[in-house]
Amino acid sequence: MNREKRFGIWSLIRSQWLLLFAISLYLWAFAAAPQRAWHALQTGGTLFASVLLLIAAVFGLVGLLQVWISRDLIVRLLGREGGIKGLLLAALCGTLLIGPAYLIFPLLMSLHRQGARWAVIVIVLSSYAVKLQMLPIEIEFLGWPFSLGRSLLTVLLAIPAGLLIEAMMPKTPARGTWDAERGNL
Amino acid sequence: MLTVGLIYLALITAAYLALSRCNRPKTVESLQVAARSLRMLLPLLVAIFGLVGLFQEFLTPEQVQQTMGAANGLVSLLLGGLLGAISIGPPLAAYPLAGSMLDAGAWPPAVAAFIVSWISVGIVTLPFEASVFSLRFALLRNGVNFGLALLIGLLLGFFL
Repeated sequence: MNREKRFGIWSLIRSQWLLLFAISLYLWAFAAAPQRAWHALQTGGTLFASVLLLIAAVFGLVGLLQVWISRDLIVRLLGREGGIKGLLLAALCGTLLIGPAYLIFPLLMSLHRQGARWAVIVIVLSSYAVKLQMLPIEIEFLGWPFSLGRSLLTVLLAIPAGLLIEAMMPKTPARGTWDAERGNL
Repeated sequence: MLTVGLIYLALITAAYLALSRCNRPKTVESLQVAARSLRMLLPLLVAIFGLVGLFQEFLTPEQVQQTMGAANGLVSLLLGGLLGAISIGPPLAAYPLAGSMLDAGAWPPAVAAFIVSWISVGIVTLPFEASVFSLRFALLRNGVNFGLALLIGLLLGFFL
């Protein structure tokens, strides 16, 4: 209950701060230069209208992935696989999971307690910067070479980053299987 | 942009129709999840596109190039990374902002660093992360991911 409430406040702050920031900037802009502020509003509105269809379509995919690849399934897979396969799987899961990263912190910590390696946790959070289902929108705004290059580099570098942090964390085997799985690599 | 949207919408609609044949309740649920996610994100999208409008109207390309241009090199890379680190938000919100930076002539590596650290580095959520994992983990992870954001930007510069 307490956790729910905490998330509510967090997500409220997150979703509101930007809108409040934008509104106050507009108020300032309308006071300082009404004509240019109006033009800015039109530019933003036109851009929004032009990508709204794409955004709606992408969210259709988001809904499908969310329901057909459930969070429970992801947790089961990540907790079980320890070797290189587990690391690759973590990278894939990070690119598919949706929602603010801090929402999955508790989920990832419970995974770690169940025996998932630190590397797995870090890889999920690092590859979080790529969203496969959002790629069409990224390409629309930033172009093919930029979007694909950035996504590829992010996923590839997530794995060494995970191993690096794992090496720097104190070794506290959560379970007996932990060491056996480390030996697999 | 409209054609891409239409093609994508057609593909997704086809997927929904195909899936509703094998599992109707699950497909309906997917549609509900999709609508709910979109509705929750709508205020944020309004804010982002509002900001993009202001950005394009009030920031001249010269100003952007001066602060985040290629000539500014590592400073603009660091600036992009820091800008992303202090703000958090969904990737969807980062793309339009990053797009207008690129259009105005910002250095692509700096823009890439901005996107990556926008999503995977969170200074605001650092206390929460420390309370869930541990302070050591939170500092290490955010530090490494910040360095990673800069590295990804730099590597992308060679790649492009």
